[in-house]
Amino acid sequence: MHDACPGHMARRKLKAKTKAKAVDYADQEPSAFASMLGGLIEANVQSSEAKQRDFDSLAARVGIWVTDIDEGVTLDFKKGSLVVHNGLQPKRNITIRAEADTVMNLSNLKIGLFGMPVYYDEVGRGVALKLVQGRLKIDGLVGNLATLNTVTRIFSVQ
Amino acid sequence: MAVKAFSDEWAKQFKDEVNRSSVYKSAAKGWKWTVGLVVEAEPDKNFPESVGIAMDLFDGEARDIKVGPATEAQKCDFVITAPYTRWKQVATKELDATKGMLQGKLKLKGDLPTIVRYTKASQEMTECTTRVPVIWPDAN
Repeated sequence: MHDACPGHMARRKLKAKTKAKAVDYADQEPSAFASMLGGLIEANVQSSEAKQRDFDSLAARVGIWVTDIDEGVTLDFKKGSLVVHNGLQPKRNITIRAEADTVMNLSNLKIGLFGMPVYYDEVGRGVALKLVQGRLKIDGLVGNLATLNTVTRIFSVQ
Repeated sequence: MAVKAFSDEWAKQFKDEVNRSSVYKSAAKGWKWTVGLVVEAEPDKNFPESVGIAMDLFDGEARDIKVGPATEAQKCDFVITAPYTRWKQVATKELDATKGMLQGKLKLKGDLPTIVRYTKASQEMTECTTRVPVIWPDAN
């Protein structure tokens, strides 16, 4: 018969199956841009094992500044979790500065062979042109190209 | 001929503009979700009640665009909500819809990756609204 008042509990540890929240916000009131980017990354990671692997391997602080709305975020990737900060925070590895349209287009870059972003289709050419014209600026690119590619893959909705 | 903003006539002209756009047709290929626009009331702008625009969009075509209560638009797969003044700014090109969403001036509900994938289509749809000549309720 089942003992309703057991004196001892079986010595087995219950493993929590709930996964920690992948995306969190540093600010009590995340900006609309922070919420949007955080939400986008969370949805992307949940929908793709490849993106999840990238997310789990990435440790970097990435700033994104949208030049035509004067707003930005810092994405603090910590190997499997992300904290989104309003505004640009210090100690960033990479900072991307571009207009709103270009930031959206970064999410529309296709990912090609070896996980490299595709710059030869219409969207890719547009992004490359902005880079050449100086309307897309990436600080910290030297030495962080692999990080940038990983971030681009996590961003990409394609 | 100019039509009253967010009226049935406006919805018809807006639908015609969307269906005339080859840019939209190609950018929205594969789109199969309904979109609701909620225009929130601003009584001081002579816009006393919230209005909903429910859009049945499919594979680059606007099959139906209806103006009705806000609650109908809120049932759509994607819902964009903003006060009357913001929508007027979008339709008169004072506010870019993409920037408006990033700034939280237009609130979006729905699957983000999908809407981001169709950024160009949504931008063209905004362009279509700017091509409909409108009589605004707060115009003198």
